[in-house]
Amino acid sequence: MSLARKRVHYAGRRLAQAVPIVLGIVVMNFLLLQLAPGDAADVLAGEAGSATPEYMAMLRERFGLDQPVWLQLLIYVKNILSLDLGFSFRHNMPVLELIMERLWPTLLLMGATLLLSVGVGILLGLLAAARVNTWRDTFISVLAIISYATPLFWVGLMLIVVFSLKFDWLPATGMESVAMFYEGWDRVVDIARHLVLPAITLSLFYLALYTRLMRAAMLEQYGMDYVVTARAKGVTEQRITFKHVVRNAVLPVVTMAGIQVGSLLGGSVVVESVFGWPGLGLLAFQSLFARDFNLLLGIFFLSACLVILVNLLVDLLYTFLDPRIEMK
Amino acid sequence: MSRTKNKLVSQSHTTTKAGTDSVLESQPLHRSRRDFLKTTGAAGVTILVAGSGLAAVREASAAARKGGTLVHLIQPEVPTLATYLSTSSPVSQGGTRAYSGLLEYDFDLNPQPSLAESWSVSEDGLTAQFKLRKGIKFHDGHPLTSADVKYTIMEVLKQVHPRGPNSFREVQEIETPDEQTVILRLEHPAPYMMTAFSSYESPIVPKHLFEGKDLRNLPYANAPVGSGPYKFVEWKRGQYIRYDRFDDYYKADMPAIDRLVQRSIADSATRTAVLERGEVHLTGFGGVPYSDAVALEKLPHLEVTTDGYEMFSTMVWLEFNTRKAPFDNQKVRQAVAYAMERQWIIDNVWFRFGKVATGPINSNIKHLYTSEVRNYEVADGLEKANQLLDEAGYKRNADGVRFEITHDLTPYGEEWQRFGEYVKQRLDRLGIKVTLRYEDVATWLRRIYTDYDFQVTSNWLHGFADPVIGVHRAYHSRSIRQGTVFVNGSGWSSPETDKLMDDAGVEPDPKRRAELYKEFQQLVVEASPIAWIHEIKFPTVYNNMFSDVITSPLGILGALDRVHLS
Repeated sequence: MSLARKRVHYAGRRLAQAVPIVLGIVVMNFLLLQLAPGDAADVLAGEAGSATPEYMAMLRERFGLDQPVWLQLLIYVKNILSLDLGFSFRHNMPVLELIMERLWPTLLLMGATLLLSVGVGILLGLLAAARVNTWRDTFISVLAIISYATPLFWVGLMLIVVFSLKFDWLPATGMESVAMFYEGWDRVVDIARHLVLPAITLSLFYLALYTRLMRAAMLEQYGMDYVVTARAKGVTEQRITFKHVVRNAVLPVVTMAGIQVGSLLGGSVVVESVFGWPGLGLLAFQSLFARDFNLLLGIFFLSACLVILVNLLVDLLYTFLDPRIEMK
Repeated sequence: MSRTKNKLVSQSHTTTKAGTDSVLESQPLHRSRRDFLKTTGAAGVTILVAGSGLAAVREASAAARKGGTLVHLIQPEVPTLATYLSTSSPVSQGGTRAYSGLLEYDFDLNPQPSLAESWSVSEDGLTAQFKLRKGIKFHDGHPLTSADVKYTIMEVLKQVHPRGPNSFREVQEIETPDEQTVILRLEHPAPYMMTAFSSYESPIVPKHLFEGKDLRNLPYANAPVGSGPYKFVEWKRGQYIRYDRFDDYYKADMPAIDRLVQRSIADSATRTAVLERGEVHLTGFGGVPYSDAVALEKLPHLEVTTDGYEMFSTMVWLEFNTRKAPFDNQKVRQAVAYAMERQWIIDNVWFRFGKVATGPINSNIKHLYTSEVRNYEVADGLEKANQLLDEAGYKRNADGVRFEITHDLTPYGEEWQRFGEYVKQRLDRLGIKVTLRYEDVATWLRRIYTDYDFQVTSNWLHGFADPVIGVHRAYHSRSIRQGTVFVNGSGWSSPETDKLMDDAGVEPDPKRRAELYKEFQQLVVEASPIAWIHEIKFPTVYNNMFSDVITSPLGILGALDRVHLS
């Protein structure tokens, strides 16, 4: 079997295995959410500031909340199997439509953050490890620890204060300039300008992680026998670092990045709320407090799929980075 | 499909206006030139148009009226625009722009003409007649007639609106002898009903689009069609909702601004920052924290007003669970009421955005309010309270503690936590040991209104423009409805007060009605199922590049049709 066919085969099998996993996640999420006291009718009527008892009974009937839990679960699973994510009564819209509207801002922010944090993290880790225990190493490590320890919302607010309010270089909030209605390239530039501050804020935290991880992995690899052998053979330090050590050291970083895609969705809640970024994290957060479980379950379902997909990609990426790893 | 079309139309409209708008809306000044250049470049208009844009600015500053984009910040995020289904603050702020009501109100809550140019109520209070203006149009060009009004009240508001069934409960039948005349036939007099015809409370919806469809699943829930001052254009979820001026609005020369954009930002510090920066121009109803409102007021380009909430009559209070000891005892409830220093709470917890409350009816409702009730805001409140607790038989033990309670906090923001901390410390001086509990909204609502599993909770309710709509629900025995939120949670009622409310609800004579409510207030305040603390004066913050922003007792939930550039 050729390598390409092997990869396709492998991916297909992994995807098939993912179906029961996702289904299990759906059922578990559903049951967990039942533990939260109060329901969507309480919240909707609560927000209205007043309601008649008839109104509330009507809401519950409409939301299907008057049915027993097992029946609600059965109906939900049946719908999921036919890829119907249901209807959000709070937003008066199908869940899928709601999620799709926010999916691409989320992917944009996630993608930018992932690129920035992995890219810069690897670079900084490399720089630190190459001159271990020098001022450069110490400086990078201290920087990493500070950015790791600083709360996201504070970083975000400070960036707004400095770059938006003080210098007026970048817009403070949103994804596009409201009421400007840009087209084409101007729109791309406009969105990119809006993306800078949230992406930096969200990256800082992960960047620190990857820097530390990369540095440690590099140092470990430097101590390996094959490096000693290479040195003995007279290979230059530069070639050892880039050809051998970096390639091996990147593996744990990639693994970590794959795992953190899920938490990136959650971590973006803070950034989305500070910068008014129209992403899924904030939507999930709000729907939890509104007990809008159809929507919340839809988002959970989607992020479960996303995490499984990304991890599959990471596994495939291994085989490129390290041909010794086989697909079984 | 229709949405795409709308967007295209609106965009061609934008291109011609972009130059002028962006200059006018930019704030602070040093930004304007850059934004202006950017926009004109982006819109692909030539220098020629840019030149005329500048000319328009000069003209505008001379006349200082037409044009401009107002960006309104709504907190929390808007879920839908279906104001006929929900009266929640974000839904109403988001959707009311599209609709008109039969009446508007002045700051003393007297009805003013709107869709109806005249109206009358018969002597016996059993008939109300409205005469509509001629030539009113919906946004789709369809005329608005008496048939739409009848349909709205009978089939929409009385059926699916959260408060409509109550406001219009006496309406038996509506006659529409011609296209301009609406006659409401009532079973009993309903003096409160005349306060419920605003575009916020009772939006008139288009019958030709709604009829025969499932009202809870209409496309117009998120793309409203009404006859209001602003026409819905598009909604980018999580980003903005855009309205443009409705050219066929029935009030000539209104609105003066071209466009209204609504946004939401979840973080309160960011909200304050964008107001400061001029990215948004208007917010109210808790859009900025009270502490920030005080700071923003000092900035030259921002104004803070507490006008525009007269129709909500919002009140802060402590609600006792009178079903269980110790608050089943009137003396204990009175003791807590005496212990509260209302003015101190207003000054320190609410940053002076409040007025001392004396009883169940808000002092806004001038014709029905009375201050001749037992006064709990006294200098020697603590002594009185200690004495009452002694009389009630709750003696201090060796540690000076009379009893322990859990105090639930209403989960609507930081000020409630601070208020809770105050209550804890204050009651400690009475020998009442307090544990605070803070949960999320759904959990708290369940606890207070379904499980009744609480002792005393902070709470806030809108009293609205008439006690029948907003006040009865917290005191009437019929309002002890398990599972329904924001009704009578204390569980307290009495046959006398029930009767007074029932009688006042159908009493057409204003003087007699005021007498009934006076007695009601005296009895309820004496029983003290609730310790009323203060009437909230919400701050509305707006950019003073706009004038005539708050012109109605509904404030940002009013029509906003008079706003114009300064």
